[in-house]
Amino acid sequence: MSAGRRLAGFLSALVCGALLAAPVAVPAHAQQEQQPGPVLRVGLLQNIDSLNPFLAVFQSSTELGRLMYDFLNSNAAKDNAPAPGLAEKWESSPDKLTWTYTIRSGAKWSDGTSITAKDVAFTYNLMMTNDAAATANGSFVSTFESVTAKDERTLVIKTKTPQATMLSLDVPIVPEHLWSKVSDIGKFGNDQMPVVGSGPFVLTEHKPDQFIRLKANKDYWRGAPKIDELQFIYFKNSDAAVQALRKGEVDLINRLTPTQYQALGGDANITLNKAQGRRFSELLINPGAATRDNVAIGDGNAALKDVRVRKAISQGIDTKALVDRVLKGFGEQGKGIIPPVFTDFHWEPTAAEANKFDPAAANKALDDLGYRKGADGVRISTDGKPLKLRLYARNDRPNDVTSGEYIKQWMLDIGIAVDYTTISGNQMNEQTNTGNYDLAFSGWGTNPDPDYILSLNTCSQRPGADGKGGTTASYMCDRTYDELYAKQLAEFDRAKRAELVKQAQARYNEVRPSLVLYYENALEAYRSDKFSGFAKQPEGNGVIREQNGVWGYYGAVPAGASESGGSSNTGVLIGVVIAIVVIGGIAIVVLSRRRKAASDDRE
Amino acid sequence: MSQTPSKQTPGALAWARRKEAASRAWKQFRVQRSGLAGLIALGVIAALAILAPVLTDSDQLDVTKVDGPSLGAPSGDYLLGTDENGRSVLLLTWWGARVSLTVGLSAALLSVVIGTVIGVLSAHFGGWVSAVLMRFTDFFLVLPSLVLAIALSTVLDRGLFTIILAIGLTSWPSTARLVRAQTLSVEARPYIERARALGGGHTHVITKHVLPSVLPLVFANTTLAVASAIIAESTLSFLGLGDPTQVTWGSMLKSAASNGAVTTGAWWYLLPPGLGIVAVVLAFTLCGRALETVLNPRLRGER
Amino acid sequence: MTDLLTPGEQTEPPASTGRRSSSGTLRFVLGKLGGAVISVAFVAALGFLLFRVLPGDPVLTMTRGRPTTPEALAELRLRFGLDDPLWKQFLDYVGGLFRGDFGTSYAYSRPVGEMILERVGPTLLLVGTGTVLAVILGMWIGIRGAWEHGSRFDRTTTSLALTLWSVPTFWLGLLLLMVTGNLFPSGGMVDPSTPKEFLPQLLDIGHHLVLPCITFVAVVYAQYQLVMRSSLLEEMGADYLNTARAKGMREDMVRRKHAVPNAMLPAITLVFLHLGLVVQGAITVETVFSWPGLGLLLYEALSYPDLPLLQGVFTVLAGSVVAMNVVADLLYRVFDPRVRAV
Repeated sequence: MSAGRRLAGFLSALVCGALLAAPVAVPAHAQQEQQPGPVLRVGLLQNIDSLNPFLAVFQSSTELGRLMYDFLNSNAAKDNAPAPGLAEKWESSPDKLTWTYTIRSGAKWSDGTSITAKDVAFTYNLMMTNDAAATANGSFVSTFESVTAKDERTLVIKTKTPQATMLSLDVPIVPEHLWSKVSDIGKFGNDQMPVVGSGPFVLTEHKPDQFIRLKANKDYWRGAPKIDELQFIYFKNSDAAVQALRKGEVDLINRLTPTQYQALGGDANITLNKAQGRRFSELLINPGAATRDNVAIGDGNAALKDVRVRKAISQGIDTKALVDRVLKGFGEQGKGIIPPVFTDFHWEPTAAEANKFDPAAANKALDDLGYRKGADGVRISTDGKPLKLRLYARNDRPNDVTSGEYIKQWMLDIGIAVDYTTISGNQMNEQTNTGNYDLAFSGWGTNPDPDYILSLNTCSQRPGADGKGGTTASYMCDRTYDELYAKQLAEFDRAKRAELVKQAQARYNEVRPSLVLYYENALEAYRSDKFSGFAKQPEGNGVIREQNGVWGYYGAVPAGASESGGSSNTGVLIGVVIAIVVIGGIAIVVLSRRRKAASDDRE
Repeated sequence: MSQTPSKQTPGALAWARRKEAASRAWKQFRVQRSGLAGLIALGVIAALAILAPVLTDSDQLDVTKVDGPSLGAPSGDYLLGTDENGRSVLLLTWWGARVSLTVGLSAALLSVVIGTVIGVLSAHFGGWVSAVLMRFTDFFLVLPSLVLAIALSTVLDRGLFTIILAIGLTSWPSTARLVRAQTLSVEARPYIERARALGGGHTHVITKHVLPSVLPLVFANTTLAVASAIIAESTLSFLGLGDPTQVTWGSMLKSAASNGAVTTGAWWYLLPPGLGIVAVVLAFTLCGRALETVLNPRLRGER
Repeated sequence: MTDLLTPGEQTEPPASTGRRSSSGTLRFVLGKLGGAVISVAFVAALGFLLFRVLPGDPVLTMTRGRPTTPEALAELRLRFGLDDPLWKQFLDYVGGLFRGDFGTSYAYSRPVGEMILERVGPTLLLVGTGTVLAVILGMWIGIRGAWEHGSRFDRTTTSLALTLWSVPTFWLGLLLLMVTGNLFPSGGMVDPSTPKEFLPQLLDIGHHLVLPCITFVAVVYAQYQLVMRSSLLEEMGADYLNTARAKGMREDMVRRKHAVPNAMLPAITLVFLHLGLVVQGAITVETVFSWPGLGLLLYEALSYPDLPLLQGVFTVLAGSVVAMNVVADLLYRVFDPRVRAV
């Protein structure tokens, strides 16, 4: 027994020593590895759904797709405007139905093969003919008539109707010489490392839920990136990622909460980036949900069908207070459904159009509409019942949950009782897709091209007769709005189109199927002692990550030649000290046991 | 129990006997220092939780009405600092005790009731009823209960009731096994035989003889079940399956973790709810162990 | 979790009937295996039905937030067989299980079986290392505690075990993360920059393993300690020990040669019986430390929610616990002379 115990003691000492010594051994190796050049390490909070760009839909995966593959056009880092990509120039026929793109020469796949118009035509045709290939980006080609490569450098696309979005085709182009051999796109994992691509980085390793490694593409047509390697390291909770940034385990993180952002402020080695986000948050107010054939569905409160009630409710909500209290000031008050980061298309309401917090006016409006207050301060509906609305928030969105508490209180102030429940994201989809809601929190991330978000509020997006197949964001159906929507889609002059887009938003505000509450800031932080030069999109107050491009990563430059040693050396030192203490402690225990055992034997 | 004035009725006799047994049990419990400490701790915590509305102002829990700093360190105004919405952590922990205890007690009660019913029935009736019920129990006994609870709380509507249901429905099998064993040993005693011979039906035997002798052990078991239900509640809340509008110790830890308490080193937000859980769970465990020692003579003197 | 501290349950000897004969043993083994097969079938059916009740149209969840047309939605529904009647979906699912096919994940468009296989390694590493350490630590303290029954060591370790047992796993993990600062990595299993050779990988994984492992052991070891202690205490009062003493055997030899081996049995059985607990420890620890195992996969499947993945992970976790329990029953049968002799 005592021999066994001694062995156990020895083994545990060995294990402890090895584990604690690990940080000594590893960086020594790691530094040898890193000699060739700097590695930018990025904390990733969302996992990768697929490496196959035809299937990938998570934000993280589409961003990875941008790093791996080039697009026909890009969005300028400066202002998100369409800019050259693989296509160096383009022109359209007078009827706007035929588009001719000239593909730049000299661009190469990472295996050395030239990128030609044929690769582009192959990609688009695949999406038009193969349902699985249309999974992620199929909507971009849904109005295409044909796509042909006239020669190596000329691509011709014919569309069925004029499309203003022809310079915003957000589709990664894949190499025909490899992808034409793929038999089943829907099951293809695209994980033969290194993955042949055309973007600034080449994917070399992927360990699901652990990390992703990309090497710089030396032959990238814009020029090789300044960093040698890009690593995405996966974290399940954002706090762990923040800690990793502090310790220097990662160099760039995003999706910070205000408290995390503020907490990082004191660190001299860390630079913060408060950027305008692409998301808007809204409070849906059920305007009377109906199918495409105008058959009412769901059980929304009838009082809400009156636009004056919807406006009175909006007047009772203090969006400024939500920004100050819920977002801790990291955001802007809501206006139109296109966030201010897209300066061209963002709508600024006039003083008369803007929703002003004014409970007195809201109370008066509701009084005038005949909703009298009952004895308990709750208004009585026309049917004699108290005016009571359900409010749903998604329980995985803390900001919505907190905002709900405020809105419940504010509604009480204008005599509306609110039954507030938090539900899962799935249940929220279920409630809103069937029209079974009165008030509900929602929100959308928007693209540089406003077409998609605008389209979600047209009559035709409502569900079909069977109640299925709808993608409406708000159950809005308004003829004026639909006309404005159709006009902007066929308008090719950017300034004129922006004007139409703004008019559509003004109309949305007028119909008020939802109240836009706020635009949240995107909060990011990076180790400025190690890297700089991250290009923001748009310039000035834009984001570094989750761009409509890869300017942030592509622009990264190592800061000086200083070594990262400092903190990790102390860590190693502490590790060694603890290892010695632990081993010593175990040795003492083992020795004392032996002595004791010996004395026991002597008895 | 039927109580008649006459001292000679069997009901009164049984009553007197039980009273005596209870006071004997209490005497034995009293000498177990750790159990007593647990009981006192529980009493204090329960009293504080019940009196929370009297002693404190619940308005200070309403995010719309507070104006403290976000994640503020402990100060004169806020003895345990504030959370991300500027609410007092002390107050949150205090009120969190109410919901955590309620959930823990209800879930434990639910699980023990299910377990007792199944345990008694399977032991009493024997035969195929027993076989089926025990097969059923064994099946649930081996299922990882947290996984099942997670699945249940995903499927059902989010809320406190769901959490109670999820915990209660997944943690009863061990009680069932225990109650079954105890029932079997009770039913093997000669007086049950006698009761049957005298024409006592199933209901009579179960309610008059089996249950009274099984209940003390069930009581001890409930005490232990509360402890694990409270941990289960906090774990489910931490995994994001709780009701975010309710303040429980688990939901506090969840928001502490997701709002940067670890990064900021906001120990005042992370420690109180966790210590609250440890204190209550430990108190229930100590009480439960002491009770078991008292009620289960086989264990006496061992612990 | 209470069941650990509830004696009577695991000390109740399995009801065995009849004389000990080879046919009896065979019947026992077959009975246990048959029971396990039924249990696994139940698990599979439960896994299927439970998650079908989830609200919401899976297709809409899949396409949330990106441009889709009604035709595309119909196509997706067809591809995942969601228009089929429930019984047909169930038959497809069961048929798939027999071929080792758990279906295709909604979120990742990958075979669920493949994804689960990827995660088994890390979970086994964490749970295996943790359980071995917890068993060694728990038994050692338990034996010593029973030995020196009533000593300060005994009292301190018992209180410590009870306290640690009352600690929520995830909270301990968070505290460790906060307290240890730069000593250990904040999460993950291996650093991407670590060279691919064996030794550096081993050291780096070990370094990442320290905090998750400590958290896991701290919460789990208590049960082994308490059971070992009370089991040994019970054994130490047994008559046969007096016989051994009367034969002139030295006191510590009596304990080592007789008491400890016999007391070990319930404790070892417990290791297997409470594997379900280990699974839930894994879920929380993996979530706190971003450890890429099955627990984390379950957590991710939940947040999507990815039906095939959920039912796959559920079936595998529950199924393996069922299997381990059969192993425990059989081991008990093999090792415990009392059970065999009845």
